[in-house]
Amino acid sequence: MRVFLPLFALWYCVNGLADIIRIGNTGEPATLDPHRYNLRLEETILNDLYLGLTTMDAAGNIVPGAALSWEVSSDGLTWTFDLRPNARWSDGEPVTASDFVYSYRRLVNPETASSLAFFMYPIKNAEAINSGTAALNSLGVSAPTTHRLRIQLEKPFPFFAERLLYPTAYPVPPHAIATHGDDWVKPGNMVTNGAFVLADWRPQGFVELVKNQYFHDASNVTLPKVRYIPIQNATTALNRYRAGELDVILDFPPGELRWLRQHMADHVRVSPLLSVMYLVFNVTEPPFDDPRVRKALALAIDRRILTEKVLKSGELVSYGLVPSMVANYPHATTQLPDIALARDLLTAAGFTQNNPLKLTLRYISGDENKRVQIAIASMWRSVGVQTSLHHTELSVHFADLRQANFQVAQAGWFGENNPEHYLELLMSDIGDVNYGRYVSPKYDRLIRQAKRTADLETRITLLKGAEIEGLRDFAVIPLYSVMIRSLVDPRILGWRTNPRNVHGVRYLHRK
Amino acid sequence: MARFIFRRLVLAVVTLWLVISAAFFLIRAAPGGPFDGERRLPPAIEKNLLASYHLDEPLLAQYWRYLRMVTRGDLGPSFKQKDFTVNELIAAGLPISLGIGIAAFLFALLVGTSIGTFAALQHNTFQDRFLSGLATLGLAFPPLIVGPVLVLVFAVGLAWFPAGGHASVKHYVLPTIALSLPYIAAFARLSRVGCLEALDLPHVTTARSKGLSRRRLVFHHVLPSAFVPVLSYSGPAAAALLAGSMVVEEVFSLPGLGRYFVQGAINRDYTLVMGTVLVYAVLVLALNLLVDFLYGQLDPRVRSEMVASSD
Repeated sequence: MRVFLPLFALWYCVNGLADIIRIGNTGEPATLDPHRYNLRLEETILNDLYLGLTTMDAAGNIVPGAALSWEVSSDGLTWTFDLRPNARWSDGEPVTASDFVYSYRRLVNPETASSLAFFMYPIKNAEAINSGTAALNSLGVSAPTTHRLRIQLEKPFPFFAERLLYPTAYPVPPHAIATHGDDWVKPGNMVTNGAFVLADWRPQGFVELVKNQYFHDASNVTLPKVRYIPIQNATTALNRYRAGELDVILDFPPGELRWLRQHMADHVRVSPLLSVMYLVFNVTEPPFDDPRVRKALALAIDRRILTEKVLKSGELVSYGLVPSMVANYPHATTQLPDIALARDLLTAAGFTQNNPLKLTLRYISGDENKRVQIAIASMWRSVGVQTSLHHTELSVHFADLRQANFQVAQAGWFGENNPEHYLELLMSDIGDVNYGRYVSPKYDRLIRQAKRTADLETRITLLKGAEIEGLRDFAVIPLYSVMIRSLVDPRILGWRTNPRNVHGVRYLHRK
Repeated sequence: MARFIFRRLVLAVVTLWLVISAAFFLIRAAPGGPFDGERRLPPAIEKNLLASYHLDEPLLAQYWRYLRMVTRGDLGPSFKQKDFTVNELIAAGLPISLGIGIAAFLFALLVGTSIGTFAALQHNTFQDRFLSGLATLGLAFPPLIVGPVLVLVFAVGLAWFPAGGHASVKHYVLPTIALSLPYIAAFARLSRVGCLEALDLPHVTTARSKGLSRRRLVFHHVLPSAFVPVLSYSGPAAAALLAGSMVVEEVFSLPGLGRYFVQGAINRDYTLVMGTVLVYAVLVLALNLLVDFLYGQLDPRVRSEMVASSD
């Protein structure tokens, strides 16, 4: 018996591990319905379950997905997709263009109550249908043949292929929804068209996926099983990883980076995420309606101290609102701190040693955020500004920001490799996501003009003009990019660092 | 007796109603809402969402709707865990919380009373002081601190036990120890004091002077009297262990009820928070009722009070 036990353990290790990859996800998914999802940690799982018209390769580049190829009309308004003729759902049913028509109508149907339906607002009539003012069948999506899909846009949108990467653009199976109703998302009922299919879901325990035999590229998918284990606490995730219970974790405490680099260097995957962290001013509230005050506060901040001395994980400094990883865009140039000028500006605005500027800086609870905001407060103290810090949990923070209930606040935006995605934030009519209520007719005009322009180069020039305008007004202070902090077992091959932090399990292999 | 139990049951229902009402209005008064997140929601979409969960109705109407649902045993859909109802989530989490709670309770009771009795019988020796000191130390270390230390030593370092999850009995060992430590200490102190007092009771002195064996003296005469305070502490302790495992569940990533409670509160998942509060309240009330009942069975004086109060 004594001999058998270790043997059994060894057998279990070899066999138990070879066919499964265990990934520590940053939390429990709220849903696996691609039209109802809301979180990045859900995108991670949905990306393995479904295949949109476009998809990402291992390096995060946009490549053909359910569509083999596509064409854009010269006015940029009509996109025609040719679907893979051999594409199948995980139950063997063919994936057709009418499945996509059904899916996109379901997404924008007000009854679906999709919180991210606006991702597809570039499609003709999508916004009107979603607001309940147009009929469902007026959506600009049609199926001329079984495997050809035509999408009409409201305005030219050269970044549409990228927009199709989100789960909101994934197809859902009409036949499974017809059979099971709202229960179609349960294991056993859910039918998907991606490399994997849902096998089991224990709430707060794990989500288990198994390989979809009908996937068009199934022969290249070598891992037959994936388990996503929700671990919200980064320290717990690290402990379980170190105990060998997980092959990958998607977050670890920033304070552990040094130790990990010394002891487990070949596990550490740290790289910048396509994102921008910034400070936003509430310009409706004095004295932040005064551009001199905003400029003074911006000039007092030394971003390099924040990234090199405080954060120390390799964050990229941001001088513009568009993250420096966004390709094909002329990025804003370095802006060095200027303490003397900052003081002069504050004096000109009426703030002196006896009458110092006092402000409240709001931020999202968390150790890392706290250290950054304390550093900023001390930089502001050097120009005579008295800062009180106020932190709240994420959902409260953004709820207050949307109601413009703040003076100066930390904010962040991430997602797309497209400058508009970030520059839209300062448009006067974008809604409450323009937290600071910045209004500039010139900025609005330039962005609107860009949005009507089909030619990419002209479009970028107009966008750049708008960004310069916004930065000159100091509506926001861009600070740095957020970091991706993962640990990947060196025996897992095919994990390629990319700024979107998307790693389809179909591209991973075990050594 | 039946009337006593009936009266306690009516009281329990009223208490439950008060708990539900307080929880309902408190969570609504908290800033933010279930659909606040990092990403913006256009007004049209927000309206769709609110309508589909009846959050656009007046608060009192929602309150009545919720009460009616609860009396039917329906705790509603989870606002955040959209693919599950609250009933499904509680059905998944409760057995795990109960399992670790019961295991920790039994472990604490067994180990705690053994230490306490042993220390009392060795009164004022080195062993007594050492064990009493250890017990005090146990009280001073909450699971939040003990849990990660246990993980680092026994899971990451020695690899004897897993660091988290709930796949096998082995997964429950470290969480049970972390959760029971303060209660071992409490039980040890209570049973030690109880034993010391019992050793001085007249009937024990009589039994001793009759020349009873030490074993018979302890098990037949000392322990029954000594364990009355232990029993009266057991009710609240069991309730606290069943409801208090949320920290341990977080540290060991156990998918129990406590995690839903914490996540629900952070996410403003109104129905989930209400559902878990309700389950905890029912557990605490049921355990208190049970202990009162047991107490009466063991101590005739309490039983006569029960009868008297129900007349």
